[in-house]
Amino acid sequence: MKKICKSYILLFLMLVSVSAVYGQSANISGYVRNYTGVLLTGDYNYAIIQNTFNLNFEETKNKVGFKVNPYVYHYQNRETEYGLRQAYLDLYFDTFDLRIGKQQIIWGKADGVFITDVVSPKDLSEFLLRDFDEIRMGITSVKADYYIGNNTFEFVYVPVFTPTRMPDQNSIWYPAPQFSPNAEFDYSQSEVENKLSNSEVFAKFSGLTSAIDFEIMAGYMWDDDPAMHMLRSVDPVTQEAGLTVMPKYHRLGLAGGSFSTTIKGVVLRGESAYYNGKYFSSADPDAAEGVTEKNYVQYLVGLDYTLWGVKVSGQFIQKVILDYDETIVNDQYDNMATILFSKDFLRETLRAELFSYIGLNNSDALIRPKITYDLADGFELLIGANIFTGDNGMFGRFDKNDMAYFKVKYSF
Amino acid sequence: MYSARIKTALIILLCATAGILNAQQKITGLKIIENVYNRPAPKDQTGDLTMTLINSRGDTRVREIKQYVKDYGKVEKKIMFFISPADVRNTSFMNWSYDQEGKDDDQWIYLPALKKVKRISSDSKSDYFMGSDFTYDDLGDRQPSEDTHKLLREEEFNGEQCYVVESIPKEEDYMYSRTVTWIIKDKWIGLKKEFYDEDGDLLKTLTIKKYENIKGYWLITNSEMHNVQKDHKTVMELKNLKLDTSIPDRQFTERMMRRGL
Repeated sequence: MKKICKSYILLFLMLVSVSAVYGQSANISGYVRNYTGVLLTGDYNYAIIQNTFNLNFEETKNKVGFKVNPYVYHYQNRETEYGLRQAYLDLYFDTFDLRIGKQQIIWGKADGVFITDVVSPKDLSEFLLRDFDEIRMGITSVKADYYIGNNTFEFVYVPVFTPTRMPDQNSIWYPAPQFSPNAEFDYSQSEVENKLSNSEVFAKFSGLTSAIDFEIMAGYMWDDDPAMHMLRSVDPVTQEAGLTVMPKYHRLGLAGGSFSTTIKGVVLRGESAYYNGKYFSSADPDAAEGVTEKNYVQYLVGLDYTLWGVKVSGQFIQKVILDYDETIVNDQYDNMATILFSKDFLRETLRAELFSYIGLNNSDALIRPKITYDLADGFELLIGANIFTGDNGMFGRFDKNDMAYFKVKYSF
Repeated sequence: MYSARIKTALIILLCATAGILNAQQKITGLKIIENVYNRPAPKDQTGDLTMTLINSRGDTRVREIKQYVKDYGKVEKKIMFFISPADVRNTSFMNWSYDQEGKDDDQWIYLPALKKVKRISSDSKSDYFMGSDFTYDDLGDRQPSEDTHKLLREEEFNGEQCYVVESIPKEEDYMYSRTVTWIIKDKWIGLKKEFYDEDGDLLKTLTIKKYENIKGYWLITNSEMHNVQKDHKTVMELKNLKLDTSIPDRQFTERMMRRGL
C-alpha cells in the first residue's frame, strides 16, 4: 500500500514539475470534492464519506498532444483508491487522428443507459450513482478516426479485456447472492488471458448533419459481465447435493446504431443493438452448466423538450431475448424508462433536477432529486437524494439503501 | 419671355431639390434597420469573448469563450469553446443558423464529462445566454421584417448624429413590447438600445462602449447590457478579432468540438 501511495505521490510531483517546466503552455485542471451520504433507513449510517482529488494534465502542440488524468479517492473507513482514469497520446493529421493509451470511449445517443456504449467498461462499485465520467473506466486501446467532411469512421482496438468493476462483498451495493448459501465459487475460469487472440475490436461510422446525427457500429468483444456457470454434484459419501458456481466470460458480437434529430423543437433519439452469443442463467436441468446461449436485442426511444423553461427528457428502453424459452431466469421482455426534469434559476447558478430510472417489469425505481448551487465560479454545492422504490428488480433490491447526500466541489 | 423661362427652370430646380431633400428626410424606420442589418460583415471571424456579469452589490462573475463564426450564405456556422469558469472548461457549443424563414437553428453541445456530442433543441430566443443579461435573440441578427419600425426623430448622441427608431414586434407575446435604437447615420451601427417589457416599462439598456473599424468593417467590440429593473449588468468584450482568415470548414465539425482548443 505504501509503495502504491509513494508511486502516486511521485507521479503527482512529476506532473507538477513538468508543468512548471512547460510554464503557461501546459494546461492543468481538475477538482477537489467532498461527498458525504447518509442512509435514510435504520440507524442513519453513513453510506459514504469520500474526498476526491482529480487532476487533468494535458497539452496539445500542433500535431501531437497528451492527457493524463490521475485521481485519488480517500475514504474515512475504507482503503484509499488511486488510479489513472486516462493516460493517452494524440497524433493529429489532416483527415486522420490517432489516440493511443488508456482512454474513455463513449458511443451512442442514450443517456444513462448502455446499448451501443460498450467500449469502455463500467465501474459499478457504487451501482449507477457515480458521476458519468467516473462510471466509465478508461481502457487501454488504440483509437483511429478518419474524417470525411462531417462523417467519421472510427476503429478501436483493445488488446486486453477489462470487465465491469463490481461492488466489494462488504459494500451496501453488493447484490444479494442468488445462489444457495452452500454454493462454492470456482474462479479458475474468471480470467481472460492476455493474448492477441483475446483482443476486442470495434468500428463505428457516424455523421453529423442538419437533418440527422447517426452512428452505425459493430463490435467483437467480451461480455463485460460473467455468465454464472453452475456445476451440480452429489457427495458420494453423504449424498448431499453440492453446487459450484463458476463465473466465466464469453465472447459477444454486436451490431447496432443510433440517431438523433430535431422535429419542431423536440429532439428525437433512438438507439438499438443486436447482441450475438449472450449466456443467460437457465432453470432447465438439461441446460449445460445452468446457462443457455441466446441472442438478444435492446433498443431505446427518447425525446428531449423544453417546456416553460423546464428541460424534460424521457426514454423508453426494451430488451428482448430472441428464441426465448421459459426456463431462462431473465424475462423475455425487460422494459425500463427514464425521465429527467431540470430547470435553472438565479442566472444559471441554481439548478433543480429530478432524474429517475423506472423498472417497468418489477415496478421499481431509482429517483434522484438534486439541487446544485454555484456559490462562486467553479465552487459548487450539491444536495440530493437517491430513493429506491419497489421490492425487487434492478432498483427495488436496494430499497434499504435510500440515501441523502451532500457534495461540495471546487473546480480549477 | 426669357425671364419666364428662367423662372420656370428655377421652379423646376427648386422642386427637384426639395424632392431630393424630402426623399432624404423620408428615409423610413424600416430602411434604417435594413441598413443596419445589411451592414457589410466579414465572411468569417475568430475572437475571444469575455462576459462580465455584475450584480447590484458589485459582485462579478466572468465567462470566457473562444468563438469561430463563418457565413456560408444560406447558413452561418458558429462554434464556441468555453474557457472559464473552470467547471465548464472544454465544453463546446456549435450552432448552425439558417436564412430560411421558419427553419430552427441546429445546436450541439459537447460536455467533457459525458464525452459525447449531444444534439439539443434550440434554446428559446428569450432564454438568457449563460446567465447574462443578453438573451439569445439579443445576440442574434433579428430579421427587420419581424418588427414594425418607425423613425421617431434624429438627434445627437455621444457626439454622433443618430436616427432614433422604434421597433414594435409583430409577434404577440414577444418578450419585449418595443425597442428604441439610436443608430449612427453614416455607419449604421446601433449606439444605444432600450428594451421595454410587456407592461411598457423600461427593462434593459444596451450601451455600446466601443466600436472599431477593422479591415473596413464596423464592429462592436465592447458593450454593456444593464437590466435596470434588477440593477444587473453584463459587459461583453470581444478581443483578438481576426477577420476573413478563411477558417477551414473542418473547424465547424464534431471533430473540433471534441478536440477543443
